[in-house]
Amino acid sequence: MPISRRVFVKSGGIALVSLGLDPLFLARAAWRLDRPARPTSGDSPILVCLFQRGAVDGLSLVVPHGDSRYYAERPRIAVPGSDVVDLDGYFGLHPRLAPLKPLWDNKSLAVVHAVGSPDPTRSHFDAQDYMETGTPGRKATSDGWLNRYCQHAREHVDTPFRAVAFGPQLPRILAGSAPSLALESLQAFGVRAEGAAPDRLTQAFAQLYAGTATGLLASSSDQAFAAVQELRAADPTQYAPEHGADYPRSPLGRALLQIAQLIKAGVGLELAFADVTGWDTHVNQGASDGQLATRIGDFAQALAAFAQDLGEKLRDVVVLTMSEFGRTIRENGTGGTDHGHATAMFALGGSVNGGRVLGRWPGLDPAYRFEGRDLAVTTDFRDLFGEILARHLGASNLSAVFPSFTPDPSRFPGVIAG
Amino acid sequence: MQTRLVPGCLVAIVTFAGAPSRGASRHDIPPFTPRDSALHALDRLAYGPRPGDLDRVVRLGVMRWIDQQLDPGTIDDRALRERVGQLDVLRYDRGDLAGIFVAAQEERRSRKQDTAAATMDPAGRAGPDERAARRLAGQFQDLVVVRAVLSERQLAEVMADFWANHFNVFLGKAADRFLLPDYIEHVIRPHALGHFSDLLLATAQSPAMLFYLDNWESVAASFAPRQGNGRAGQRPRPRGINENYARELLELHTLGVDGGYTQQDVINVARILTGWSIDRPRQGGDFVFRARAHDWDEKVVMGVTYPAGHGQDEGIRLLRWLAVQPATIHHVGSELCQLFVNDEPPDGCVDDATAAWRRTDGDIREVVRAIVHGLDFWAAANVRAKVKTPLQFVVSALRALGADPDTTPRLARVVARLGEPLYLHVAPDGYRETQEDWVNGGALLARMTVAVALSRGDLPGASVNLDALLPATPDYAQLVAAVDTAMLAGTMSENTRRVIDEQVRDVTDPVMARELAVGLALGGPEFQRR
Repeated sequence: MPISRRVFVKSGGIALVSLGLDPLFLARAAWRLDRPARPTSGDSPILVCLFQRGAVDGLSLVVPHGDSRYYAERPRIAVPGSDVVDLDGYFGLHPRLAPLKPLWDNKSLAVVHAVGSPDPTRSHFDAQDYMETGTPGRKATSDGWLNRYCQHAREHVDTPFRAVAFGPQLPRILAGSAPSLALESLQAFGVRAEGAAPDRLTQAFAQLYAGTATGLLASSSDQAFAAVQELRAADPTQYAPEHGADYPRSPLGRALLQIAQLIKAGVGLELAFADVTGWDTHVNQGASDGQLATRIGDFAQALAAFAQDLGEKLRDVVVLTMSEFGRTIRENGTGGTDHGHATAMFALGGSVNGGRVLGRWPGLDPAYRFEGRDLAVTTDFRDLFGEILARHLGASNLSAVFPSFTPDPSRFPGVIAG
Repeated sequence: MQTRLVPGCLVAIVTFAGAPSRGASRHDIPPFTPRDSALHALDRLAYGPRPGDLDRVVRLGVMRWIDQQLDPGTIDDRALRERVGQLDVLRYDRGDLAGIFVAAQEERRSRKQDTAAATMDPAGRAGPDERAARRLAGQFQDLVVVRAVLSERQLAEVMADFWANHFNVFLGKAADRFLLPDYIEHVIRPHALGHFSDLLLATAQSPAMLFYLDNWESVAASFAPRQGNGRAGQRPRPRGINENYARELLELHTLGVDGGYTQQDVINVARILTGWSIDRPRQGGDFVFRARAHDWDEKVVMGVTYPAGHGQDEGIRLLRWLAVQPATIHHVGSELCQLFVNDEPPDGCVDDATAAWRRTDGDIREVVRAIVHGLDFWAAANVRAKVKTPLQFVVSALRALGADPDTTPRLARVVARLGEPLYLHVAPDGYRETQEDWVNGGALLARMTVAVALSRGDLPGASVNLDALLPATPDYAQLVAAVDTAMLAGTMSENTRRVIDEQVRDVTDPVMARELAVGLALGGPEFQRR
């Protein structure tokens, strides 16, 4: 029987191959062998990534209100200095971010400004792809950096909920050989059928797969049924947010509420991911009020509710926001902004070195702009992501997560408290 | 002797040629009936059997059926043609579609401008142009499902899907929203069983690909465009080469990632293709060669010199050269073996494919014929060794039930929910054939949910009439046996039989019992394989 070298090396022997065990199945089976049983303490670090798809205008999130060029370039859409929530005399939060100010004040919220990709593309899809694969400029990378983190940091508890994305499909950032779950809602997770007893159906399918499935179908279905059972035990239908947290009824609000549920259920969540859309503001973006302000308001309320709900538990959590690029410094002819370069990202959590705007600010001076027009990138997003992986999650092999890039601690923006 | 699932006309070869030991070991005892051969062929060269297909293929002889499939022009496909005639997306050409989509875009822009106080759901108040554009895009995705379910030219559909992924273009990237239908209809489909070099050249000159991988704005480093007015927010004028297409051309379309090229080769390929552009993309214009933007200097690619002073012809020379490189033949041949035989393409299959490729100058029809006539295709170890992609799962389930897809995009949405939104793979590598891309816990649960909905006739977009296929009966042993025959072609495992049997015994209503048995069979492990 022909054995390609690749199969042979991966599986470690011809005998396994002829049993019909495929390499990925073996790779996934190996997780179980390596991983310790679930600890009882339940205080291992958690990372929540929120992707602001569409390229968020970092200059509206964290406004350089101390720079007159900002007002000169944006006569119609600049946030007036009288409206911003001042942070340090130069930068201020958009007024709709005010719900996050207490988190800034208690040092759990940090801003990294002028962060982005070294690749110059202004294509949403290329730039999102680069940010999710963690390999700017390289389109053929098959897996995402969060998945590669899981591949290389294997000392995690044995749980189907290690890496969870909220949405219909697994996003590129979590694609790869390490198991991860995509789910649209905790309540709907499982085999669904109107009018039928879902438990019974699930049970029947579990028996079918347990007795008949082989290879990857067996290991993955096993993981799925275990997850259904754990969720049932945690009973997400009974969830009530704590400490008076009031989540907005938006997709982001729902996603963060469910992430909080999973965190508190103690099912071993390490990585959570959700998308937030609606940032591609080419037209009529508005200033203190308007289209963009509405999105920012939802974003702030959802994050504030999440922090409120977690309470003490926020100690173990970091929320990282990201977006594929920023927007033009100058407003366009239709009261909006076009595709730019650097943007601003937030880090929120107990271990965050908060209450400061991190990163090197390149300024709005045309001489220092990227291609003469956009905010320059002074922090490679991989330095920010790498720092969080290393210092919050304890990743030891960053060059495996970000191939052909060696994150250098001296370039870390300093987002995690030392 | 080798034991294989060998159709009649191959038995002689296998028996007397004493084929070298590739393929199955003799411990595999494959079922050896003509029905099994027919099922295997229908699972791999088609989207699974419809009611009656197995008998038809057995009667005709599996090898004759395969030959027919390899010559789709001879197969009557009237029923599909009538159905497709109801979809108006095919009545528009690229220019018409461009007009509709650009109008939709402008409508959306002005609507956003009008509603300064933004709504959380901007989709709610779409205007007529926007709705038309959305409807046409949905229709085009739906067309994939409709064709795969209904076409008699099944292999042609399998190959169209394969090439649409090999030469992937993302429907969501700006102008590709209206360039893609033309690309699939006039570039991919006509060449799906033609010569690889023609297909490669057609993709290279297609507006859809030129736009998707940015080659349309790749210009010689020395090229000085006429100045725009430089207002903020305007798209920056192209400056210098863009390597995106050149890199994917080598890495994905031809030589493969280990194809022996360097970064300098990528740059020189991009230089050769400078000036390959689109004539007015927003109007759905055609390929154009812009001589002013072309790099006319000498280039060297992998040791081959392209002398100075050449224009569009050097690009054509390069593409024809790439199409016949051993690395290309091996790379694309392996992908075809992955599609038809096994996720880990057996060496013997790749050898068969490359030999046929060389013999026929890359005639894809003959390469596929060689793979399917090869010993590895029929090796017991490769039978039911593949896991269905979401598209294959949904389509094969619809076919198994003899279900009729409607012309709304709802079934395409089901495929999307299972992880494969059609034509919406962002990266140029396209959707893969390998199980690791599709099998994960959440996805399997979603498949079970779809199976259950389909069995109850609740799956939006499909009408199912189980009475024709499986009359309800109070004899549950007979029910389970009939489900095995109709859904799984008799491959139901002992465990599956026992579990389904136990489940239906608790249901008194024979109609509900039938639904439950069908749902479990389609959502169960056997049906995930092909």
